[in-house]
Amino acid sequence: MRKFLTPKRQTWLHRANPAAKLALMILLFLLTLFTHRLDFIFYQAILFTLLLFLFSGYETWKIALLILPFALIFASSAATMILFGKGEQVWWAWGLFRISEESFFRGIHIGLKAVAFAAEGLLFVLTTPSVALFYALMQQAKLPPKYAYSFMASVRLLPMVWEELLVRRNALLIRGVRRPQGLAGLVAQAKLYAVPLLSQSIRRAHRVAVAMEAKAFDGNRPRTYYYRTAYSRYDVLVLLLLVFVAAAAYTLALLYPPFHIADVRYH
Amino acid sequence: MEMLEVVRKRTGRGLKLSDLLVTVLVSLVLGVVYHFWSSVYNLFSPLFFQADELVYGMWFLAATLVFLLIRKPGVALIAEVAAAHVEILFGSEWGIQLVLYSLLQGLGAELVFAAFRYRKFSGSVAALAGIGAAIGSVIPDFFYGYVQDYEPWLLTAKYAMRAVSSALICGYFAYAVVKAVEATGVTTLLRPVDPKDYAALND
Repeated sequence: MRKFLTPKRQTWLHRANPAAKLALMILLFLLTLFTHRLDFIFYQAILFTLLLFLFSGYETWKIALLILPFALIFASSAATMILFGKGEQVWWAWGLFRISEESFFRGIHIGLKAVAFAAEGLLFVLTTPSVALFYALMQQAKLPPKYAYSFMASVRLLPMVWEELLVRRNALLIRGVRRPQGLAGLVAQAKLYAVPLLSQSIRRAHRVAVAMEAKAFDGNRPRTYYYRTAYSRYDVLVLLLLVFVAAAAYTLALLYPPFHIADVRYH
Repeated sequence: MEMLEVVRKRTGRGLKLSDLLVTVLVSLVLGVVYHFWSSVYNLFSPLFFQADELVYGMWFLAATLVFLLIRKPGVALIAEVAAAHVEILFGSEWGIQLVLYSLLQGLGAELVFAAFRYRKFSGSVAALAGIGAAIGSVIPDFFYGYVQDYEPWLLTAKYAMRAVSSALICGYFAYAVVKAVEATGVTTLLRPVDPKDYAALND
């Protein structure tokens, strides 16, 4: 998986500061969230997916593989609204199902919105290593170091929890523990696993934390960092790129609207 | 009582690194559970319409479970965000979006615990906090999914089921798990020390 998710080349998006990129992405999310014009969201979904191919730095076939679920995302997000949304111009009704013109296009809108969100989200996670994000949050966003180091240390501890889970499973297996049938059995099994895993995690995290406190990982500023991060011209370039794409989507929506619907909400 | 003052001065009132590390590690483990919970969620979908809402409460479990374990202000919010962060680690397309959702969910739970001045740790208070988290999860739905434009019966059924599942899973289930973990004695590492424990030192 790690090898699969290694980019082929570095783009502006990789070189930009992760904290700045996160802020830009959140603004982009808000733009998408508050878009009610169907034509605009249509072009957002298309252009941000296109951006994935051009600017994520991955091979085309990998991106194609990663966006395969977009079809499912579209269908599952759209279906409920299409079938059960409010609307006046009823096309088809059967029992509780009621498809109207308004609910149909509102459903399409929600589906496209989900695809736009997914494309924007992938654009961020495919170009940002988690550790780089935390170092940038500490240095540029002034996140207290104890938060960032707790996250980074916990990520390293996670595989140990997985190992413990396997050990626990084998231990129960070799002692011939059978779970009772039914719902009570499920709860009993949840406890068989949850209690040792949780208590061991707490003990281990506490031990590691004491060691980290002794090494002043919770210390105050000023402090030094193993990885130095800074703002650079790539942040401006990424800002310009995203503004350009959003503006292009809006212009296209005005010039070549495929649906001619300015607001999908029910009035 | 002097002992109490000394300790207060040394540790401050905020969360220590050890509180944070335990919060984040337990939440990451729950985040992995969240990740696989989506398959359970998909199993429920075909049962009857919107039946998947019946297991939705699982996604707010970190907030109440970790608060019941550690009993300190702020951990419910941090726990929920940390659990959502697992999706960023896994490179999921929903990563950032889920972290933004988790902020509202964690805040919903946190506000309920704060309303009880962080002094009540019962299953019912946790159930209320679960419902608080569910309310947090509904807010973005109004803009994202236009849920106000569903037929009213559907809107009511959907969110009533979500509230019930949140109360059961985040409230009573979390309480039962925490009680079982307490029996191992490990929670004494974490919880704030009572003034009466310090008083015992002076005797």
